[in-house]
Amino acid sequence: MAISVVMPALELTQETGKLVSWRKKEGEAVVKGETLLEVETDKAVVEVEALANGFLAGVKAQEGDVIPVGRTIAWIVEKGEAPPEESSREIPAASAPAKIARQNAANPGASASESSSKAKISPKARRLASELNVNLASIRGSGPGGEILASDIESAAKSAASLAASPTDHENIEKLTAVGRLMAERTAQSWTTVPHFFLVREVDAGALNDAREKLNAVAGTSASAKITHTDLLIAIVSRILPHHPRMNASYTPEGIRLHAEVNMAVAIAVNDGVIAAVIPNANAASIAEIATQRRDLADRAKAGKSRTQELAGATFTISNLGMIQIDSFTAIIPPPQAGILAVGAIADRVVAIAGKPTVRSMMTLTLSCDHRVVDGAHGARFLDDLAKAIAQPQRHLG
Amino acid sequence: MPEVQSQVREITFAEAVREALAEEMRRDPRVFIMGEDVAEAGTPFKVLSGLVEEFGTSRVVDTPISEAGFTGVGVGAAMTGLRPVVDIMFGDFITLTMDQMVNQAAKVHYMSGGKWKVPMVMRTTLGAARRSAAQHSQSLHAWFSHVPGLKVVMPSTPYDAKGLLKTAIRDDNPVIFFEDKMSYKLKGPVPSEEYTIPLGVADIKREGSDITLVGTSSMVQLALEAAALLEEADVSAEVVDPRTTWPLDEHTLIESVKKTSRAIVMDEGYGRYGVAAELAATIAEGAFHYLDGPVQRMGAMHVPIPFSPPLEDATLPTANMIFEAAMKLCGRS
Repeated sequence: MAISVVMPALELTQETGKLVSWRKKEGEAVVKGETLLEVETDKAVVEVEALANGFLAGVKAQEGDVIPVGRTIAWIVEKGEAPPEESSREIPAASAPAKIARQNAANPGASASESSSKAKISPKARRLASELNVNLASIRGSGPGGEILASDIESAAKSAASLAASPTDHENIEKLTAVGRLMAERTAQSWTTVPHFFLVREVDAGALNDAREKLNAVAGTSASAKITHTDLLIAIVSRILPHHPRMNASYTPEGIRLHAEVNMAVAIAVNDGVIAAVIPNANAASIAEIATQRRDLADRAKAGKSRTQELAGATFTISNLGMIQIDSFTAIIPPPQAGILAVGAIADRVVAIAGKPTVRSMMTLTLSCDHRVVDGAHGARFLDDLAKAIAQPQRHLG
Repeated sequence: MPEVQSQVREITFAEAVREALAEEMRRDPRVFIMGEDVAEAGTPFKVLSGLVEEFGTSRVVDTPISEAGFTGVGVGAAMTGLRPVVDIMFGDFITLTMDQMVNQAAKVHYMSGGKWKVPMVMRTTLGAARRSAAQHSQSLHAWFSHVPGLKVVMPSTPYDAKGLLKTAIRDDNPVIFFEDKMSYKLKGPVPSEEYTIPLGVADIKREGSDITLVGTSSMVQLALEAAALLEEADVSAEVVDPRTTWPLDEHTLIESVKKTSRAIVMDEGYGRYGVAAELAATIAEGAFHYLDGPVQRMGAMHVPIPFSPPLEDATLPTANMIFEAAMKLCGRS
């Protein structure tokens, strides 16, 4: 019996997915659980597994196609079985009549154009969109019933043009990837809608350095498995957060949502932007577990293989640019979180201790807060507790 | 309309029609008028008053009440060398002339291999709102517009009426000339010197950029009223008058809508299966990729025209209805 392969809905609001690659070829044998294809969503590239044993047949989607979720893009059939002919109708796979496989399934662009033809759009707007190279999927119509009108296309083209590079340089536009576009949208939304304020605190990182050396000596493992400063900060921050519920919260129009879990996101630089991978319940994880998870998340993010669930549900974020020698910086809050901690480099500095200049390993922490959720005093007390904890890391790394 | 001199006189639609007839009758002795109550009575609308005095009863011929008969006489007279202007008092009565016009007048030139021609004009009326009830209020120009071999003229102003009627009389084909009963008293500038207007050339009665209001005959004045209302609402409406439904100036209609992206077509015939539908389809085909909304039709309600004045009024489009529809189409309501 033929089993359909559909474009999966990997996120609640996802409407389309981009087929990045087929891992199996037409006619090739597949085993249930094997990776069948890769799909790019707004957030990540996701591997999709085969749901049955059989042979891949009736492949209708090409790599690079953008496909509405739920649409059948191929079939897994038994040996010798032909894939059902018509799959766009809502026929359950079981009752779909098996007919001869369509040899010319290659119909480039068909799925993309079909999806856009469902949105109501005036003929003029459709022509202008293709002339001005405006992506219809990104337009919200202003006409009756949401119909896309010519003016919608014109204003989209205008704003795209005003965003474009210098007039002498408009050949040189780097196309946004999903990650890049998401970064642009989310940061712009946060920066323009979340009232940010920033608290800066210099902390003595000597004890943190000592703790890291001690842990890595005990572990005695290879350099690649060593615990990093980021790992230590994830552990410490996530253990302090439960004492400051407003820092582990979200603003909603109904009120402040206090999160029971501490899901710590860590910002990871990837090729085309930054993504924040999540260590769930980081306050309950050991430092070794955190280190392992963080490394795993980073490796997969850098390879563009993050899983959607790894990018969702964060309640707080740490962003560390210390390894690139940044002294301090202010970070943009990733909504709906209430805060993000920006970590600068640890460097030897002269500080006054008991009236005498002393050289210490210092580090600057900058906390960005959503003023709708926390006020300055709240944030300052959290940062103060954090500074104390960093001065005595062992107490928090049990 | 060409630029008119500052001293151009204003005359009524009825006077413009009468002048065109008188001028053509003076110019060509083959031209004569035939119909019910055309001579001494000068028609119930007084359009022809005075013509019988100048041209006599041999060229302004009263007929019995027999539309099929005297239309047939007209077709025969035209085929044998005269240029008759047949008067059908109410457009509703063209139903009686259908065989003569559709099966004879429209076909003779083709079926004789060009040996015969039928240079006749049928003048008749259209339009409701005269409290004349269901059999005297219809606008049936779509019937003739449907038939190849016939030309159909629908003037909306005194200037157009005079220039188009002179051209119609000089045309070697059967031409049906529809006059709006309610427009006979409409005044407008008409130069005293000789001019004609070619058939098949639309006129842009008002230039605009946001929406095209296509109107025929009686609907042109309404469209202009609506355009004035729209201007107050900051919507710039272009009013296009095709002036003839056949030949049809498709180019002007399509280019106007390519410019404005929106169109409402108004015609006093029944909205269903009518001239408005044909014009709307022409626009939709020719300007499809320029349309930012559906082409809309407005016409007489699909009912026999009632005698009751309030009910009769309710069957017709008004300037306000056009205004509302245009605002909606422009996304402004």
